[in-house]
Amino acid sequence: MNLSKKIFKIVTLSAVLALTACSTKTNSAVSNTTQSSSSSETAGETDPALNDLYQQENQLFADHKEAWDKAFNMMNKGNADPSADYAEYLASAVEGNKDEFTEEEYKTLTEDLEKIREIEKKISELESKQSTSSASKDDSSSESSFADLSGVDFDGNKVDKSLFSKNAVTVLNFWFTGCKPCVEELPKLNELNEAIKAKGGEVVGINTDTFNGSGSAIKDAKKVLEQQGAKYRNLSIDSSCDVGQYASNIMAFPTTILVDRNGKIIGDPLLGGVDNQENYDALMKQIESVIASDSATK
Amino acid sequence: MDKKNTMISKKIAQFRGWIQGLATLLTNIHLPNFFKGKIYQGNGKKICVPGLNCYSCPAASGACPIGAFQAVVGSSHFKFAYYITGFFILLGVTLGRFICGFLCPFGWFQDLLHKIPTKKFSTEKLKTLRYLKYVILVVFVILLPMLMTNSIGMGNPFFCKYICPQGVLEGAIPLSLGNAAIRSALGKLFTFKSVILVSVIVLSILFYRPFCKWICPLGAIYSLFNKVSLLGIQVEHDKCVGCQQCTKACKMDVNVLKTPNHPECIRCGACMKVCPKNAIHYQFMGKNVSKDKNKLKEK
Repeated sequence: MNLSKKIFKIVTLSAVLALTACSTKTNSAVSNTTQSSSSSETAGETDPALNDLYQQENQLFADHKEAWDKAFNMMNKGNADPSADYAEYLASAVEGNKDEFTEEEYKTLTEDLEKIREIEKKISELESKQSTSSASKDDSSSESSFADLSGVDFDGNKVDKSLFSKNAVTVLNFWFTGCKPCVEELPKLNELNEAIKAKGGEVVGINTDTFNGSGSAIKDAKKVLEQQGAKYRNLSIDSSCDVGQYASNIMAFPTTILVDRNGKIIGDPLLGGVDNQENYDALMKQIESVIASDSATK
Repeated sequence: MDKKNTMISKKIAQFRGWIQGLATLLTNIHLPNFFKGKIYQGNGKKICVPGLNCYSCPAASGACPIGAFQAVVGSSHFKFAYYITGFFILLGVTLGRFICGFLCPFGWFQDLLHKIPTKKFSTEKLKTLRYLKYVILVVFVILLPMLMTNSIGMGNPFFCKYICPQGVLEGAIPLSLGNAAIRSALGKLFTFKSVILVSVIVLSILFYRPFCKWICPLGAIYSLFNKVSLLGIQVEHDKCVGCQQCTKACKMDVNVLKTPNHPECIRCGACMKVCPKNAIHYQFMGKNVSKDKNKLKEK
């Protein structure tokens, strides 16, 4: 009797504590996600492949020290955006001060920039691989980038990761056919797709019932899409690809995420339908900011 | 031989707390998922568990029968949930509300809450509220999910969505603690259902099993089978001296002597434990729960 009373007290107490701790925990979780990029960098230092890439970059700076030092001096600390692509950041600095360089300096710098772009691409690939592998170990929310995507759209056309590169922002909507809130937001998603099409955005539906190309599931999903007037692309993807793995970790549907040109997930996933105007507006705002930062780096 | 049978029945009743704990553990076996903020989604979820246990509990081993029923009748593909109805009939006919008393995690939760030492109140005068659970079963579990559908025939799981406190306790709270995305999606509905959960908790401390008595649609289903279920409670009237200790001990407000298998009886065995003449025991298929060979000996 006494023991069960004690156990009970502990349970209630911890439940109360857990509930009151909820708000503070939210903050720490947010700071965790924002920190993930820097932590993956420090983790990268131990990785020989990543280290090698950083070395290559430094070698370029050393080889053309004079020109690069000049460029570095012109950079404004205030412009530094740690989340932006480093190569693009350098390029914008060089481009912005084009007149300050001699023709020869400008030429070496642009050549180097090309190489740096290559290197940065490899680095981000390696980093995203690392973060996804560590993410699958502990928490799906720290997953930050899709290394691959494979599957077909509902018309049978093959799709891969290049799907992302065609748009400044891809709105990935994860749903399944039997999910009422998912089905009910389809018209609004179609509206969203029409609204962002011209700006360089696209809504892409990923139906989890149709994983690995199940024919009858695709037929069912197509019927629902038609009934709801959703005309944007929907995919049947392979459950083993990165996006498929991400989808299998989703605990609540519908979930909508934003993916940039490089396959990187931007911001936090939106849980719940965009037929709720508040959600729609918040998502739209995020979409616009991704498009803006995309055109800024171009 | 009846003596042996009564002894076994009493033992079962005595170990009820442990059986409830074990059943709750088996119903929620994937404990590490609590820390991952994930739900187990394997094949186990194709089977229903006997008690009220949220599908969205990170550790849940199977599906909640009430949740599954609403999901099926509310889907555009199916008109009626034959598999789950069959499951209800099977378990109802075999065990009846023994499930409430021994196997249901939410029943155990209320039992534990009731152990908190405070002033306790009788539900004797609130007997009419018992019928509320049948209304909830018919309206929120069957009719609304079936009939309140959108243009393509999909309905909401109304009981899960608007009432079930077990969903908040096992689903929303642990999931949102372990999963930042879900935490960010919590809104008014969560607040509303948390109020229900807190009310049920407070009431459970003051009254014995208020949720089972007044609200639970699963209890309502099993109660329909209590009179005919294979497992039952038997009073040996030749041994009974009419002291009424059993009826006084019954926290479900059942008159044990008159109706030992009343729809409200959860077969907890409190009556067996107090009977001074050992006149009350479990029976299965009309036979005593002790081995049949005893019966042969008797003959």
